[in-house]
Amino acid sequence: MKSTGPVILGFLVGMLMFIQYFTPDKWIEARYNNVLDWKQVVFGITLILGVVSLFLYHWRKIEKREAGWLYSIVTVAGLLLMIAGAIAFSPQRGPYTWLFDYVQSPMQSTMFALLAFYVASASYRAFRARSFHAALLLTAGVIVMLGRVPLGELIGFSAGEKTYSLATLSTWILDYPNMAAKRGIMIGVGLGITSTAIKIIVGIERTYLGKGA
Amino acid sequence: MAGRRNDEGLRGTGRFQDILVNLDRRIIFLAIAAAVAFPILLPLNLPIQVSNEARAYFEEIERLSSGEVILLSLDYEPDTMAELDPMTLATLRHAFRKDLRVVAMTTYAGGVGIVERILGEASREYGKAYGTDYVFLGYNPDWSATMLRMGESIKRTYPTDHYGRRTDEIPLLSEVDSYEQIALVATIAASALAEYWVIWAGGKYNEKIITGNTAIQAVLIYPYYQTGQLSGFLGGLKGAAEYERLIERDGAGVRGMDAQSMAHLLIVCFIIAGNAGFLIQRRSQRRARVGGGDA
Repeated sequence: MKSTGPVILGFLVGMLMFIQYFTPDKWIEARYNNVLDWKQVVFGITLILGVVSLFLYHWRKIEKREAGWLYSIVTVAGLLLMIAGAIAFSPQRGPYTWLFDYVQSPMQSTMFALLAFYVASASYRAFRARSFHAALLLTAGVIVMLGRVPLGELIGFSAGEKTYSLATLSTWILDYPNMAAKRGIMIGVGLGITSTAIKIIVGIERTYLGKGA
Repeated sequence: MAGRRNDEGLRGTGRFQDILVNLDRRIIFLAIAAAVAFPILLPLNLPIQVSNEARAYFEEIERLSSGEVILLSLDYEPDTMAELDPMTLATLRHAFRKDLRVVAMTTYAGGVGIVERILGEASREYGKAYGTDYVFLGYNPDWSATMLRMGESIKRTYPTDHYGRRTDEIPLLSEVDSYEQIALVATIAASALAEYWVIWAGGKYNEKIITGNTAIQAVLIYPYYQTGQLSGFLGGLKGAAEYERLIERDGAGVRGMDAQSMAHLLIVCFIIAGNAGFLIQRRSQRRARVGGGDA
């Protein structure tokens, strides 16, 4: 019963979500809306679970003085400060918005901006024409990199009324080889999702129940 | 020969090809910083050509009539602000200039502050009033359920707006309660969220979708544009710059184009230099092996 109950529940909810696509029935529509409401409630609870789990993880680290415990103090302090600021002054003004605008936003932006430097360094070291396929990838990468900025539009030539530039070539790469590869992946992923969903609905796939199910 | 130590602690031979292959990463970092800073201080004003997908994005908003409602979902956090803020601001400027009404929301908890800031800036610029010209629904947990639930009822999905006002008391929402009353959905997304708007709002509710994405994500979006599931899209900062040119209001997108061009050019130069060194090195090694074998 420990696993049969959830499997039956999974089957019923799965079938409901499947059938509602094909029927305008009001009762089914109402149940479908119920499921969506529950889904949002469950998601909200997972957020609380995440915050509690993050807090406990870092709290234990601080208590045991594990490696990097000083960083954990910063994490816990930041977490508590943001929560306290939002509760005491509302999330629309006061310390919460100040911390968001002048601490969180610049920090996150800085982290992302640093990527430009690491991408430059990593692409310099990793993009090596070690084989024919690597050379092909490298060439496509360079064309797209230059073709996606205004500079790429200046590198090219005109033949009659038509202009052939790196931008044109970059668009062709994105429109054809990239598209073909992406479509193949998407079809594969779609089939995978469908088969997994069917397996969950009929109870073949039970890993979501945990070990021993 | 006494070798020089590179940043990875390897001892090079000091030969030209070895220097090319083992450039110190600090040199790369400094060069990138200079390449980005130089055009910001002294703009190059490189020409910006408008792509078909950016023109399609522009035309989808342009074809709407005054008073129509667009849903603008800002699905990103501060990390991608530099790339996505310009297209958000340009979209709001375009919408407010045409007197469209905007229902804004975010599927990211960290996106709330961004929406408030940009919505405030654009509404002040065009003298728009909260509640009648625009509304901010806020953040709702679980994006897939939110997207689907809004197809049934926006007011039941969001009983209150971000500021705690009951949505059934907000004038703008008096005639708007599902995708049926929304002329267009625009999502500015840092992740695969645009695909899910296409699947849920587009596929199930036949809603027209346009999107602005980071340059990395844009590559994955092309198939949806080609099939017509996406009516238009902006790819990265260049897409933002193209759109700013279309609405004839240059902003951070256009300003960033010179810097991005120089940075891309420099990265390509480094890649070419690294490969040149690598190929020369490989040829010398082959020659040395052949020479050793002969001996």
